[in-house]
Amino acid sequence: MQTLMPGIRVFYLEEIMRARINGEDLSIASTMSVAALIAQRNLRSETVVVEYNGVILTRDKWDAIVLKENDTLEILSFVGGG
Amino acid sequence: MEDHLIIAGQVIKNRFFLGTGKFASYPLMKDAIIASRAQMVTVAVRRVDTQAAQDNILKYIPKECIIMANTSGARNADEAVRIARIARAAGCGNWIKIEIIPDNKYLLPDNVQTIQATEVLAKEGFIVMPYMNPDLADARRLYDAGAASIMPLGAPIGTNKGVCLRELIKILVEEISLPIVVDAGIGRPSHAAEAMELGAAAVLVNTAVATAEDPVLTAQAFSLAVKAGRLAYRAGVAAAKDNAEASSPLTGFLR
Repeated sequence: MQTLMPGIRVFYLEEIMRARINGEDLSIASTMSVAALIAQRNLRSETVVVEYNGVILTRDKWDAIVLKENDTLEILSFVGGG
Repeated sequence: MEDHLIIAGQVIKNRFFLGTGKFASYPLMKDAIIASRAQMVTVAVRRVDTQAAQDNILKYIPKECIIMANTSGARNADEAVRIARIARAAGCGNWIKIEIIPDNKYLLPDNVQTIQATEVLAKEGFIVMPYMNPDLADARRLYDAGAASIMPLGAPIGTNKGVCLRELIKILVEEISLPIVVDAGIGRPSHAAEAMELGAAAVLVNTAVATAEDPVLTAQAFSLAVKAGRLAYRAGVAAAKDNAEASSPLTGFLR
């Protein structure tokens, strides 16, 4: 969404692309940041770790990274284990 | 006299370590931790299920506990290193239990891969606790690689068979100057006591507690058994003999 002049707003159709998230190929909007994806999936950001194309992505970078076609994302958290 | 376990310079007040898998609920797990006063607890790292509501296990682990992530699911050293780094990034601290299992039937660890992962992670500042097959030469390699303790299995994971590998574990206790933590296979408190009597520094139990009828009471029983076994080890219990030896004086006045 962009503001051209006061009161007039132009909407663009979001492009859809493929990304691999937790082992599944999913269609997502091409403008989506990691932070937006976490929020969209109702994940509590303080409890998850994100690995982006094999590299751990600290929380301060979630806003800046916008997903690209064929990106691989792992969203992980702690569970019970021995 | 205090007899605290010290690993990597940290005092651990309870030699009973508790795994957090397989509990019917997180609140139940929490009650078991509190009842047993376990200080060292393990957790695992998994993909988030984005469809289901998620609860945060860390919320149910008391603040005074040391949380040690494991690398379960890893089939080789590279995967274990990857999981360890993720766990640390998640704010779990430096403690890592290396668990590398290429086989699903017996869940036996791969010592060679475990040694490799230990070397990498120790250099990165992790406190490395490797789960291993109790082999003396490999335990020495783990020591050289920078392990903070050695965690031999008593029996395959989840079998509740007890300290089946006791003779080999005893050798590690005698020969390796690191805390030996018997991990896996311990099914009942008497097994835990047996491991401690052998000279283990601690035991790690999960399945036997989590799948008991009353996990909270069971955790307490394990914690007490570990204390009793430890005392017995320190006391130097008397050796077994083949022939009977009277414990009351046979003064012979009856004949």
